[in-house]
Amino acid sequence: MLNTLTQAFALITTWEVIVAMFAASVYGLVIGSLPGLSATMATALLVPVTFYLSPIAAIATIVAASTMAIFAGDIPGALLRIPGTPASAAYADEAYAMTRKGEAELALGAGVWFSAVGGIAGTLSLMILAPPLAEIALSFSTFEYFWLAFLGLMCATLVARSSPVKAIASMFIGLLVACIGIENPGGVPRFTFGMTNLFGGIEPIPALVGVFAVAQVMRAMLTPEPPPIPRRRFGSILAGQWKLTKKYNWQMTRGNIIGIIIGVLPGAGADMAAWVSYAMSKRFSKEPEKFGTGHVEGVVEAGASNNASIASGWVPSLLFGIPGDTIAAIAIGVLYMKGLNPGPTLFTEKASSMYAIYLMFIIANIIMIPLGIIMIRLASHVLRAPRSTVMPVIMLCCAVGSFAIGNNIFGVVIVATFGVIGYVMEENGYPVAAMVLGIVMGTMIEQSFVTSLIKSDGSVLPFFERPIAAILAAMAIGALIWPVLVWVWRKLKRAPVPAASAR
Amino acid sequence: MRLPDRVTGLFLVGLGAAAAYGGWQLPPVPGQPVGPNVFPLVIGTGLALCGLAIAFGIGRSFEEEEHLIPVEGGQPPPPTGKLYGLRALLPPALLLFYVFIADRLGFILTAAMIVYVTSTALGARWKVALPLALLAPIGIHLIFSKLLRVPLPPGVLPMPW
Repeated sequence: MLNTLTQAFALITTWEVIVAMFAASVYGLVIGSLPGLSATMATALLVPVTFYLSPIAAIATIVAASTMAIFAGDIPGALLRIPGTPASAAYADEAYAMTRKGEAELALGAGVWFSAVGGIAGTLSLMILAPPLAEIALSFSTFEYFWLAFLGLMCATLVARSSPVKAIASMFIGLLVACIGIENPGGVPRFTFGMTNLFGGIEPIPALVGVFAVAQVMRAMLTPEPPPIPRRRFGSILAGQWKLTKKYNWQMTRGNIIGIIIGVLPGAGADMAAWVSYAMSKRFSKEPEKFGTGHVEGVVEAGASNNASIASGWVPSLLFGIPGDTIAAIAIGVLYMKGLNPGPTLFTEKASSMYAIYLMFIIANIIMIPLGIIMIRLASHVLRAPRSTVMPVIMLCCAVGSFAIGNNIFGVVIVATFGVIGYVMEENGYPVAAMVLGIVMGTMIEQSFVTSLIKSDGSVLPFFERPIAAILAAMAIGALIWPVLVWVWRKLKRAPVPAASAR
Repeated sequence: MRLPDRVTGLFLVGLGAAAAYGGWQLPPVPGQPVGPNVFPLVIGTGLALCGLAIAFGIGRSFEEEEHLIPVEGGQPPPPTGKLYGLRALLPPALLLFYVFIADRLGFILTAAMIVYVTSTALGARWKVALPLALLAPIGIHLIFSKLLRVPLPPGVLPMPW
């Protein structure tokens, strides 16, 4: 253990890792604080750069950029009422109300302080949860993996903030995309329409860049430009945060725990964590009437929650290759590229790399405090950059980045296509996160499904015979019929009302 | 681009049916009960069922309308014309333009055009868009070609480094 820790330290104290981490932090802070550019987009655009870095440095950039971007989304949320990333949307109103009351420092300070606390809590959960789960996962066969993947996909549809039917449809679209190519049980070209470029299948990373970056530029074409941030001088940012920590200790802990749980659930990420935590905070608050008028309580809880989910989202990613959220989906792609294939053996064979990941998360959350304060003070300058200068650069990064992933110009076609798909889906209420999960997990779920069927000679019974498989199956099927039950219940409850009003 | 649920639902029915049929057509692996045809069949069927449910409005009650946060100070409402909605297609169109032109024209020139058009479309004046179109491609070229050694097409205007 101590030996591994020393090795991990040696891994992260190279110049390459330190520089990569610092640069990615600054990049994450800037992208996260620009409205309309999400943390997922920041991470996706980083991937081509990670190709040319050592494995640990590559992971360092992703860890640092995603952590910083989630916090930085709070800055325009508090100053402009426009969340920088969707993860800050839940409490942008509240934080802005605080700014109007003259408490901008307190709102932003709570953002940076409780984000750091939440991030460290999330990292601790990753350190504590992952190794014992890895022990259990070592005995998993394809049956368990199938149910686990299935459960992951169902979770993603359950937590989506839209109709579950549409979420399941999005997931199916993603799985269908994963069908493309010759990497299937028969090794035959499937849905390639005679195009050699499609033989290798659709790479998840260009698809993600399309869905999260190009679609965003498309949306920017139709929405008005956000107003620039008024210049202002800030007082001390961290003043009073310790008092808040003591006063709202329980809220902070609850936010951390909710964030960790939502992070571990596949497909649900920081934005979901923030919404749930804000709602919880209001529900259980002693003074719920103050919510919405510039009350810091909800900001504390939701701010801690969204950052906690970032680290815990790595738990299922590292263990099973099932992404805990869209950022982890990108991280999985990078892990595969760097020869750190996700799986329970990662924790025994590459233990020092795992410790390096924990350490980087902790460091990223600590340096977030000083860097975040600098960013808050510079925000009125950085956020002055008009959209018409940022978006063109994003476009270039999309084009060059997707080309760089395989040195194949077809990557750019994929990015453009998925930009359109993502845009149309989002406009019509189909959650893209569910599709992304389908794309990332498609091959895994098909392989475990078909291998299991071959092993069982076409019979379905063995899918339920092993104890862990049976438990996972029960959970997955429960998740599948849950929306149906809720729907029926609502129908029964609501039925008399319209009938009465019709008369 | 907000389409009625009936349209998207029926489209998904068609897509699912096509996928199931396409999967069904694939040759099975000899001597094995399941091959590459099973998975698309399952997914296609599922997708078609979901499409039907959406077309009939099942699950609508779960949808939360996205509440847009109104900006204070009163923004001018975006102009609404038939062609205005098509502006959203500009970014993917530009990317395809890059795919077809970059090899012949080279990275710098193609990128400059993309930047200029995107920037102008988002409301920048030429005083901003032109310098940006000159500098951004060179910057990106420096990072990706020089630092990361991505082979970007030189075309008619190769960079001196």
